[in-house]
Amino acid sequence: MKSKIMQYLPASLYLTLIYLFFYIPIIILIIYSFNKAQYSLLWHGFSLRWYEELFADTDLWIAVWHSLVLGFFAATAAMCIGSLAAVSLYRYAFKGRQLLYGMVFILILTPDIVMGISLLILFSFVKISLGFWSLLLAHITFCIPFVVVTVYSRMASFDEYIFEAAKDLGANDVLIFRRIIIPLLWPAMLAGWLLSFTLSVDDVIISYFVTGPGFEILPLKIYSMVRLGVKPEINALCSVTFVLTLLLVIISQVALRKKP
Amino acid sequence: MKTVLALLLSVFATPILAANENVVNVYSWSGVIPDAVIQQFEKESGVKVNFSTFDSNEVMYAKLKASKNPGYDIIEPSSYYIDRMRRQGMLEKLDKTKLSHFNNLNPDFLNAPYDPHNNFSVPFIWGVTGIFVNQDYFPAESLARWSDLWEKRFTDKLMMLDDTREVFSMALRVLGYSVNDSNPEHIKQAYLKLKELLPNIKIFSSAVLSILIDEDAHVGMAWNGDVYKAYKENPQLRFIFPKDGFVIWVDNFAIPKDAPHRTNAYKFLNFMLRADIARTVALDNHFPTPNLAGQKLLPPEIRNNPIVYPSHDILRRGEFQTDVGDEALSLYEKYWERLKMGG
Amino acid sequence: MKNENGLKYFSLSVIWIWLIIFALLPFLLVSIVSFLSHDENHLIRLPFTLAHYIDLNNAIYLKIFEKSFYLAGLCTIICLILGYPFAYAIARMENHFKSLFILLIIIPFWTSSLIRTYSMITILKPKGIINSVLLWLGIIDKPLALLYSDIAVVIGLIYNLLPFMVLPLLTNIERLDNRLLDAARDLGANRFTTFRKITLPLTMPGIISGSILVFLPAMTIFYIPDLLGGSKSILLGNLIQNQFLVTQNWPLGSAISIVFTLLLGFLLFIYWRTMRGKEHGNLI
Repeated sequence: MKSKIMQYLPASLYLTLIYLFFYIPIIILIIYSFNKAQYSLLWHGFSLRWYEELFADTDLWIAVWHSLVLGFFAATAAMCIGSLAAVSLYRYAFKGRQLLYGMVFILILTPDIVMGISLLILFSFVKISLGFWSLLLAHITFCIPFVVVTVYSRMASFDEYIFEAAKDLGANDVLIFRRIIIPLLWPAMLAGWLLSFTLSVDDVIISYFVTGPGFEILPLKIYSMVRLGVKPEINALCSVTFVLTLLLVIISQVALRKKP
Repeated sequence: MKTVLALLLSVFATPILAANENVVNVYSWSGVIPDAVIQQFEKESGVKVNFSTFDSNEVMYAKLKASKNPGYDIIEPSSYYIDRMRRQGMLEKLDKTKLSHFNNLNPDFLNAPYDPHNNFSVPFIWGVTGIFVNQDYFPAESLARWSDLWEKRFTDKLMMLDDTREVFSMALRVLGYSVNDSNPEHIKQAYLKLKELLPNIKIFSSAVLSILIDEDAHVGMAWNGDVYKAYKENPQLRFIFPKDGFVIWVDNFAIPKDAPHRTNAYKFLNFMLRADIARTVALDNHFPTPNLAGQKLLPPEIRNNPIVYPSHDILRRGEFQTDVGDEALSLYEKYWERLKMGG
Repeated sequence: MKNENGLKYFSLSVIWIWLIIFALLPFLLVSIVSFLSHDENHLIRLPFTLAHYIDLNNAIYLKIFEKSFYLAGLCTIICLILGYPFAYAIARMENHFKSLFILLIIIPFWTSSLIRTYSMITILKPKGIINSVLLWLGIIDKPLALLYSDIAVVIGLIYNLLPFMVLPLLTNIERLDNRLLDAARDLGANRFTTFRKITLPLTMPGIISGSILVFLPAMTIFYIPDLLGGSKSILLGNLIQNQFLVTQNWPLGSAISIVFTLLLGFLLFIYWRTMRGKEHGNLI
């Protein structure tokens, strides 16, 4: 038993250090959301003022809601399209397969700012009004490659013969898709969804260009503040959302553990 | 399934419905219009405000340029962008008969070179770009002009605004040129002058307040309104109006061409021009207001504060910023890139 | 039979249409713009010209590219060194713990990355937490200049991008066949040899995709150098942004990003060709 602890000690120490690196800025953020000072980033005393202001600021909550809605739909659409793309790229031989690959890579390689501006040009070209729809289309687009990458690498780990066997047994494409691919792929698809959602609610640069009047989202509200000094109210907001997500995760973990 | 469908519908319907409502779409600098003012306007006029913010003129301009006005009714460009956009036909000519409170404005800020007859712009806030100094580290009396910043004692101590025009304006003034100079030879001289300043520069930043208050930098370039705000959290700070001249910046409201809700835009403009509203705004963001009637309503310690509202004599040394044109601008930018890469 | 092709054609057409409209078309637009002339009033105008590509042959751009490449490369290498053992340790966990620990990597990302980067300022400031603690402990007698330096930029980049290295590595290491490792050990290979000869080559795809996902954004993110580096140098992201926003020279901005994209595409292509010989060309 003792040797087992010794064996795991370096690894767990290392893990702890990295997780500390991830979480310390957030902990600092939470502590400083109780800071009395308005502009200073040093500690000036305890105050609940920013929480009071936060809950009085309806505009901010609307922006939060918009971000969540946008993230949900963008992630869902990107998951569907990206998974279809990954499956087709993996399974079918067709003309232009290389080109399709190439386009996924263009999407990954394009710097955010260029994608933002080129989509803005595109939207004004085809007269899509800027706002919810332009944001949604842009977000789906930049999320797709991440879903493709996640799902494709999962597929690559399958036994190729599984499809052959299913076909030999008389299953058609749709049946293979429903009975084999989806059940095997759903963890990867879920991971792709999560990744997309995460990217979508955090995206600043692309959204900057394709957003319009009437659909303000949280990252943009924050971004325009950051350069000129962030209101501590935002720290309070991030602390609240962080604690909420943490609670959500804990609840889901407990629920999962109860029924294996 | 039904609930999901209902949710879908309601979510998709909101942005579409919003387009037809009684609204005004305002696109302004971040942090200059207090929420309370917006709410008061909504309550009094019944017009809903869609409020979005930007952090640089350039972004605002790029968006309006690239998509031929995506639906904004009110924008808030700085003076030199008013100049640029007015000359490019991007702004609506204002009907001043609809702005009954226009006379509240301080004549000092009207008919400036960037918009000679104020046909396109309504000044909203202004400020002076000058020198800040922290008394704990350097006595304020030892600094009077921009050229003092070149002294050896400031090595790795200065903060500069992260703004090409502002930094070049300083060097141009030191050399005795206008802040709106577009002569390539003069711009080059300014660049060489700034190159000498490089060892003294510690930070380029726009997030000025925390840097001033937390003493990340002890001397440098800042706006008078910001120094006043910072002074309230760190009383060692001083502001100096440089003897060799300075920039007076003005952020103005304007109505872009093809604004979809023009009537509401005028309602909003006229509301913002009211003296009591100007007072509320000034008390919230602490920038000087060009609204003379509003200024008179402020508490005396602000109204008479020499940092926020300097005398006419001092202001005479200042210059309004105008557009320098594309060619000069890309020259500025080229030298700026070189500067930041170490000369 | 009809059904058989139905799914294929459906999924293929959805993807084709989407990617052509939202990936190829914008890319073509940018390429076309890069050959157009710059105009003050209309942003772009005819005639076609190569001037902007010729402009790129300029010492300052090379310097900017070099610096971005250096910082991004440094960040990628550190992420790899930090991330590999981290991913390995998690990948070897029991399934239930594993999902929890992966979730713990993702959770911070649901808080705005801008705000988290901003809170690093609080930590690194001259009068910030690290300096206060060190001063209090008497380790230093003058605050360290952590903030507004390249060190701060690299720390910020690593902080934001490390998960993009860890996640692909994780999926790759998970797939590692334990039997191979056991076999190697049975044949007398020591830990180091096993790692070098088996683990490393087999996890190469994960290393590559992780490095790509870290390196690319590290080259072009502009708000981290601005916030943590005191915007004292211009990196590629700032350069592209400035062309589009400040000087409004869209053709030049487009030319820079096209060259950058092609260069990276070329690097990937070389990697792909060398990998194709060994495995089947599994880029992703």
